[in-house]
Amino acid sequence: MHSLIQLSIVVLLLPLLSFVILIFFNRRLPRRGDFVGVGILGSAFAISAYIFWSVIVQTYDPAFRIAWDFTWIDLGNVHGIGPLQVRMGIVIDNLTAIMLAMVTLISLLVHLYSTGYMAGDKNYGRYFAFLGIFTFSMLGIVLSDNLFSIYIFWELVGLSSYLLIGFFFEKQSAADAQKKAFLVNRVGDIGMWLGILILYSQFHTFSFEQIYANLAAGKFAMSNAWLTAAGLLLFMGCVGKSAQFPLHIWLPDAMEGPTPVSALIHAATMVAAGVYFVARIFVLLTPDALHVIAFIGAFTAFMAATIAITQNDIKRVLAYSTVSQLGYMVLGLGVGAYSAALFHLVTHAFFKACLFLGSGAIIHAMHHEQDMRWMGGLRKNMPWTFATFTLATLALAGLPLTSGFMSKDAILAGAIGFAQVEGGGVFYLIPALGFFSAMLTAFYMGRQIWLVFFGESRTHLKPVDNHHHGHDAHGAHDDHHDAHEVHEVSWNMRAPLVILAALSIFFVYSPNPLDGAEGWFMKMIKTPATVVGPANHNCATTLVKAASPLMAEALPAVAAHGATDSPAVAGGEHATAKGEHAFADPRQAEIAHAAHAAHFPAIYISSIMVLVGISLAGVVFVFKIIDPDKTAQAIRPLYLFSLNKWYWDEIYEATFIKGSVVLSKMLSWFDTNVIDGMVNGVAFLVRKLAFANNSFDKYVVDGFVNFTAFSVNTTGAVLRKLQTGKVQTYVVMLLLVVFGYFVFYFTRLLY
Amino acid sequence: MEHLIPIGLNHYLTISAFLFGFGLFAVMTRKNAIVILMGVELILNAANINFLAFSKYNGGMGGVMFSLFIIVIAAAEAAIALAIVINIFKIFKSVDVSSIDTMKE
Repeated sequence: MHSLIQLSIVVLLLPLLSFVILIFFNRRLPRRGDFVGVGILGSAFAISAYIFWSVIVQTYDPAFRIAWDFTWIDLGNVHGIGPLQVRMGIVIDNLTAIMLAMVTLISLLVHLYSTGYMAGDKNYGRYFAFLGIFTFSMLGIVLSDNLFSIYIFWELVGLSSYLLIGFFFEKQSAADAQKKAFLVNRVGDIGMWLGILILYSQFHTFSFEQIYANLAAGKFAMSNAWLTAAGLLLFMGCVGKSAQFPLHIWLPDAMEGPTPVSALIHAATMVAAGVYFVARIFVLLTPDALHVIAFIGAFTAFMAATIAITQNDIKRVLAYSTVSQLGYMVLGLGVGAYSAALFHLVTHAFFKACLFLGSGAIIHAMHHEQDMRWMGGLRKNMPWTFATFTLATLALAGLPLTSGFMSKDAILAGAIGFAQVEGGGVFYLIPALGFFSAMLTAFYMGRQIWLVFFGESRTHLKPVDNHHHGHDAHGAHDDHHDAHEVHEVSWNMRAPLVILAALSIFFVYSPNPLDGAEGWFMKMIKTPATVVGPANHNCATTLVKAASPLMAEALPAVAAHGATDSPAVAGGEHATAKGEHAFADPRQAEIAHAAHAAHFPAIYISSIMVLVGISLAGVVFVFKIIDPDKTAQAIRPLYLFSLNKWYWDEIYEATFIKGSVVLSKMLSWFDTNVIDGMVNGVAFLVRKLAFANNSFDKYVVDGFVNFTAFSVNTTGAVLRKLQTGKVQTYVVMLLLVVFGYFVFYFTRLLY
Repeated sequence: MEHLIPIGLNHYLTISAFLFGFGLFAVMTRKNAIVILMGVELILNAANINFLAFSKYNGGMGGVMFSLFIIVIAAAEAAIALAIVINIFKIFKSVDVSSIDTMKE
């Protein structure tokens, strides 16, 4: 076993240890054991950082990959299938190393931050235990080398997210939100499980490596439509976890959880798990499946951005912004901008975590006021929060010199390239929606910054009757402070903000602020060669031949742009080295080429869009040239449409929930009337039969018995009369018999 | 006296049948055991008359022999029957046959 594998197992199990210690012993430990959580996560992060260092910095090899697995369940020789085993294992490649470091770092910072934010909560210790099990499950997803263990940890993430969203379960809204999150996630997970089963039914293995090897060898016996279906069903898991369009509704409601939880789960890790999963299964997604994924991502990005414009709750704006950015990532994967999407996943994780923690600091300082309409002027009171929040906002909006700029630009360039290669007018909708959402992002984040930090404090404007204490349940602070006093938060909440904001600056990822592709990230994460495609059922060697003219065409063009390490080439090298994935997909190469060509147009368009968005925000909210309230009145239907989140909740309420209720009522009716009717009918018939049987017994069988007795009795009674015991009677009878004989005799004689 | 029917077998048989009928009537209807015995004697004697009549008109001596035996047996039977009646009287303090019905138990 490789030493890095051993270390990664330690990293995986450390948060579980934290959970076990804290869930059982937090009341016996000083400070309810928060130092256990922080300390354990600190060591987990230290080991992850070492793994990251070994893999990314020292090895610096795009094809780095080590794996280890063991037989978990041995089903033996199953009749008709052959030997069947369920194997568990760990794989470490560049993506894993990066995710490992990212998850543990953000989890560590959230642990640290929570020691300030959650101080005084009555379930303080349990909170850290839940954070521990969440981190454990997330690391499990990151390290899994097969679909089965990913599914297990996937559900564990769902469970721990359920526990954390409903942490303030005394509040009805939190309890509802946790149920909603869990149920909506279940919808996606069912699809994911079906997708896993389609693949398992074909290959009898859950391992990524073996599934891809089998696919590349053309062993998928069913039609390509099934493969597309498998890909889309697996993608449903991502739709649920990463809050994509049909199932995005749970994420904004999940803001009922404590704000650090929102930062950890609903910005940086759990929702990223969906994108990570799609990246893991990227190679088996057919072009058709990728088209669907791209459109869903683009639509999600656009829709959530339009909703975020009008929300007043500071966390809800960020929640919809998260949905929108996740849409970007999914869009990126759909158009084949694999490394760009994962790049955005990591940059987004840091700046969005920073934004959520910053909003948590504001909410904490404002004594649990979340409505941006009653904030304002916090710039002077909270300089640290202001600086870090602004930096993260710039990264989210995608201004140059930030990490978000590079990653978003890479995705949008990929989208343009994709649209060019697909060549259809409708495919230009994807980059168009992406750019438009970029503008909206800049607009709503400008609005948020302005409303929260600039201007004068509007706390006194808040209608009093609307006041309700404690979004977070520890209301102890509220009693001792005047609501107008707003102080900067303590160091343990400030430090994570600073670290996360620092990770939102460009030089962490790339020396060139305009081109993320020059950075280590994009060089380490290469688009893997697809194992499906138009010709994947042919033999691998003929495929290489078929692909080679196209490759020859693509290679000089790519080389001309100075990107000798384009994904296509890397894929080709990988293929020759491994000898199994023996082709680079020409389609991928073409898209990568076009995306590279579209790099500068994408920069220009997205910069213009961001500037337009920011200026618009400035015009509306800073200089008040356009009055926001009057505008909202003027386009009231659109405003309401956005404010009410496109009415998705109402639509689902009217269709699925009402539908379920009606269906369950129908089933209940069916149960009470038909099923119960059948049961009762059978019981009725049995009763009747028993009654008939009883009557038969009583009248016929008993009748025979009684009749026999009766007849014997009667005969006896009659015969008894004859036996008088008197001699004379017998004489008379003798005489009668003789007489009878004579009558008989003479009668016979006569006739 | 020619118009008178001469005494023939039928007259004997008629007498005998009447005698048998009286005897039988006595056996069936009388309650006194002694009277019943007397009825039995009448029946026996009716049989004797039959035997003797058939013997006379048939010409053999078989009927005479039979009636002699019957007379002897009747004497023995009367002795035995009277002994039984005396014993019955001893047990039941009565010779009324209608009250002697322990046989039906």
